Amino acid sequence: MRVEYINPFVESAYSVIQEVLGVEVKRGDLYLKSTSMPVMGVAAIVGLAGDVEGRVLFDMSKETAIKIANGMLSSMDMEPIETLNDMGRATITELANMITGQAVTKLHDLGFTFDLTPPAIFTGDNMEVSDPGVEALIVPMDIPQGRVEVNVAVRERA
Amino acid sequence: MQTQPGNSVESLAGRRIRNGRSDQSNEQDRVEHIDFKMVTFSLGGKDYGIDIMKVAEIAKFRTFTYVPNTPDFVRGVYNLRGDIISIIDLRKLFNLSHDEQAEGEAYDGLIIRLEENMLGVIVDSIARVVGISRNSIQPPHPIFADVNLKYIEGVVEYNDRLYIILDVERIFAREERKADEQPVFDDTRRTGVMQPTEQAVEEEHAQPVQAAPEATGADPALSFEFIRDTLSTFAGFHVTPVNETWVRQRYEEWSRDRKAENRDVQFESAEDAQAFLSPFYSPDTGRFWSQEYSRRVRSLLPDSQPTTFFVWNAGCAGGYESYSLASVLVSEYGDARIKIWAHDKNLMQVSSAPNLVFQANVLPPEFREYTVTGTNGSSFSSEIKDRIVFEYHNVLHSNSLPAVDMVLARDLLSFLDRSEQAVFLEHAAEKLKSGGIIVVGEHERLDDSSLFEAVQTEISGVYQLR
Repeated sequence: MRVEYINPFVESAYSVIQEVLGVEVKRGDLYLKSTSMPVMGVAAIVGLAGDVEGRVLFDMSKETAIKIANGMLSSMDMEPIETLNDMGRATITELANMITGQAVTKLHDLGFTFDLTPPAIFTGDNMEVSDPGVEALIVPMDIPQGRVEVNVAVRERA
Repeated sequence: MQTQPGNSVESLAGRRIRNGRSDQSNEQDRVEHIDFKMVTFSLGGKDYGIDIMKVAEIAKFRTFTYVPNTPDFVRGVYNLRGDIISIIDLRKLFNLSHDEQAEGEAYDGLIIRLEENMLGVIVDSIARVVGISRNSIQPPHPIFADVNLKYIEGVVEYNDRLYIILDVERIFAREERKADEQPVFDDTRRTGVMQPTEQAVEEEHAQPVQAAPEATGADPALSFEFIRDTLSTFAGFHVTPVNETWVRQRYEEWSRDRKAENRDVQFESAEDAQAFLSPFYSPDTGRFWSQEYSRRVRSLLPDSQPTTFFVWNAGCAGGYESYSLASVLVSEYGDARIKIWAHDKNLMQVSSAPNLVFQANVLPPEFREYTVTGTNGSSFSSEIKDRIVFEYHNVLHSNSLPAVDMVLARDLLSFLDRSEQAVFLEHAAEKLKSGGIIVVGEHERLDDSSLFEAVQTEISGVYQLR
């Protein structure tokens, strides 16, 4: 992945999560992956198009997703959720949208044009994701609610 | 170009987690301080080790004189350059099952130097020399019931294998040959181990040893194996046919120099490994190419002006060679569509490459026209910068490169193991246009039967796609 793309995604993920949840984010070492990888249980995905093609995936366990959603809901004085219902899913999707949106804005300032697709969310057990032909950058982040992995797989449009 | 194992994101953003840091540094301490070397071998399917200080030689035992009235683990005696030593079969000593050797086939074994005498031991097969830190040796655990706990110095994990380190002094200690105490062997045995030696000596006078065993003075070969292992541990450098000729030559020179300085030939730290490798790197590694090297690269380029010239610079590290090559190409081909994809999996290095700032005087004069001067120093103008795409990419993963005219991969293969080399060369062959060239390191060689054939040029390590 082009070096210039890395920091916008890393910084946005870090600052958005810190801001909306008000927690300390511990970031793990970034790494690259090209084989299929397991998904922890909840995966919010945002597609990218423009100078590049690819997607950003936010991966976390169901428990973490519920805790994050409750953190965000309580900051807006809304009822907490018990299970990952529509409200929970919409909240996680919104988080994915905020992070990707901010990253794309930063990239735009650097002169790269990216467009977003509406986010989608997948939940289930024993899921795997694979992107044949695209290498993924993994940004692991640990917060008190659990671990969130941002998985960015983009390639230059030929 | 060299890629250091272990990425750091330290420079990428100011903040960085401290999480997991201490583990990492412990791990590093452990790897960095080798103070115990052992010869490893297998016995009954398990891995064992013996302190290298106790090992005099690695040997192949072919024939030895049978000595009557000895326990069955004493295979006989032989004449080791004038010294009569007894040969103990460790597999029988520990009651481990083993396949019977075919008649006349040599046995793998070690010659052990004990405080008081020498002794030969037969094992299933000798593996290699492994260097570890004494701190990583764990106390023995009852799970290793194959061998009496008393004779185990400890266990150690190395490269995902568990090695049981035998305490040979205790196994063969003289006190224990007293008939009333012999826990090494099963209860039916009444004789100690050392006794055969004395018997053997007497026997020897009566009947000469039939044939001298083929005891190889294994020291040099062993130390080379150790160098091979430590190069990979300390420097991520794999000794393979790509660089073996160079490593062997360098090893001779290195042993000579180190002996002259009265120092251990083997590496004690990562610095030693780097010192060993320092003459390996291709000219102008980690800095801008000199005028002379640029001239030589220029001589590789096709004479006729192409409309496009694409390059895959695999393992670009901090980008010095990418910028140098871009300058050469722009000065040579000017208006052609030139593009260099520069990849490295060392995030710290590659992420600093797009904004490389340097002092103008480090650049050969011919390239200075492509720079702009800012407050912190010089950097390349967009004429050069726009032609290079720096990517954080592992060259073993799939990529979306178009067909390229040149693959520049100096000193990359040596930092890949053999299967990784094959993957990378396949990628390179797939991406190269017909007649395209790959430039490997100055001291790296590709197999002639491979996908590429050598081209005689002013730079060594240039190959053309077959």
